[in-house]
Amino acid sequence: MAEVTDSMAHAPISSEKFDLSVEQVSLHFETPNGVLKAVDEVSFGVETGRFVGLVGPSGCGKSSLLLMMAGLQKATFGDIIVEGEPLTGPRPQDVGVIFQESSLLPWKTASENVEFPLALRGVDKAERKQLATDMLKLVGLSGFEDRHPFELSGGMKQRVSIARGFCQDPRILLMDEPFAALDEQTRMTLGDELLRIWEGHRKTVVFVTHSLTEAVYLCDDVIVMSAQPGRILERIEIDLPRPRTYETMATADFGRLRDRIWRLIRGSE
Amino acid sequence: MGRDSCEAPFISPATLRWLFLAVIVVVWELVPRLGLVPSVMLAPASEAMIAGFQDFGTFARALGITFGQLASALIFAYGIGALAGLLLGSVYFLRETLLPIVSSIYAVPLVIVYPLLTAWVGIGPESKVIFGALYGFFPMALSVAAGVQTVDRQYILAARSMGARTSQILFQIMLPASVPSILSGLRIGGAMTAIGVVVAEMMAATGGIGFLITQNRTMFNTAEVYFGIFLVLILTGLLDMFIRLMERCFTNWYPKET
Ligand SMILES: Nc1ncnc2c1ncn2[C@@H]1O[C@H](COP(=O)(O)OP(=O)(O)O)[C@@H](O)[C@H]1O
Ligand SMILES: [Mg+2]
Repeated sequence: MAEVTDSMAHAPISSEKFDLSVEQVSLHFETPNGVLKAVDEVSFGVETGRFVGLVGPSGCGKSSLLLMMAGLQKATFGDIIVEGEPLTGPRPQDVGVIFQESSLLPWKTASENVEFPLALRGVDKAERKQLATDMLKLVGLSGFEDRHPFELSGGMKQRVSIARGFCQDPRILLMDEPFAALDEQTRMTLGDELLRIWEGHRKTVVFVTHSLTEAVYLCDDVIVMSAQPGRILERIEIDLPRPRTYETMATADFGRLRDRIWRLIRGSE
Repeated sequence: MGRDSCEAPFISPATLRWLFLAVIVVVWELVPRLGLVPSVMLAPASEAMIAGFQDFGTFARALGITFGQLASALIFAYGIGALAGLLLGSVYFLRETLLPIVSSIYAVPLVIVYPLLTAWVGIGPESKVIFGALYGFFPMALSVAAGVQTVDRQYILAARSMGARTSQILFQIMLPASVPSILSGLRIGGAMTAIGVVVAEMMAATGGIGFLITQNRTMFNTAEVYFGIFLVLILTGLLDMFIRLMERCFTNWYPKET
């Protein structure tokens, strides 16, 4: 079993400093072969405006953790504190989620999809349409407002998803492998666009990915998790200067950080 | 789409469809005329039409009765069926307890309850509406329930994370996401309702096309029987047009076929 670094596991967490703090959270599932510990006593905090990555082997509980942070799944033990209050269910003004592109509603147009979180909270039609149009423009989809998802490419659909997340305008945005279904080039472009929008809006972000390159490229910190039971191995600060570009990826520092994460994950399996 | 890979057809599929219908009518006319089949068994198309127009008033009244009963039965079958399907498919408790029962009853030939039904409500139009609605209810409810159950969990998670309440999830996610199944429920449920109404008329009734068909059959008026069948086909054709119209209205978010 990999050793858990002392500073991480027992760091006192004062939730005031943080937009989001995960405190001693465990998630157990009852299965025919006994209890499955999907997430095991995980604690970390995310400071306001920080872009934090979450990586680890497949099945280590990243998605489960994200669902709990969104208030969509109840933790077996522990608390998730958002804005000083423990989460008991979804709080759309505080926490939003950007899923993979397949979560767009196929019967709604791009604009209606982006408007949907606003429609749910009763924002009037003209106002939300304007906001959606602006947001679609920001992700480079002007002129595609009235298209249905089946008429858009995978990359375009994911842009709509991102626009929807930002249009909901929560303080914290959670993303679960948002670019996983896309090809390499689209993925790179969208990563850059996400950073550009984030620089403008400065939301607190938790970003799950299985691509280590993507994690190092996008994040301020990367939290590395171990295979089952899902625990935190280490939190690595990515001290590469921003704005980052394609050249950043070729630097020695970049390679060193990615290797370090890779060794941690491989060691835990 | 797919056009480039195969040669452009000689005749369009729509024209072919009409041509096919025309061939059936011609065969219907010629087979008894040429004496291949005795005309007590199959009356030529022209004779059926003439018989129908000679007794136009009777047939028109019967058509009106059947149409009214079918329309009322459809309203109940579709309305109650959709609501029941939505609840049966989405409420965990109902899905585990009632849905399997409803699904088993669907397999029972419901004709067996018709004698009871007429004993309760008589052989007037009410029994036709109830019987037709009963026939259409099951496929409608089961299609909608199946559709609701297979709604992508991602849509529901996303909607909940955006703050959707239970009623918003039911009507803004579950319902539209089930449109393909609802449409197939309309189609199968509609056909079953039409069967229910006409069969009920044929078994015990005071009016309607089914009643006329049975009456004329016992008197060996073959031409009138065929005209009755022709009218039933017209009714189901109308039903089919209605369902196509619904399909066109509700599925603009699918890739287009041609
Ligand atoms: N509803 C569930 N019931 C039982 N086991 C589950 C459930 N959801 C997830 N798991 C298990 O929990 C573990 C973590 O899953 P997940 O959070 O999806 O991992 P990741 O996103 O890191 O790949 C996996 O072993 C998975 O099989
Ligand atoms: Mg996952």
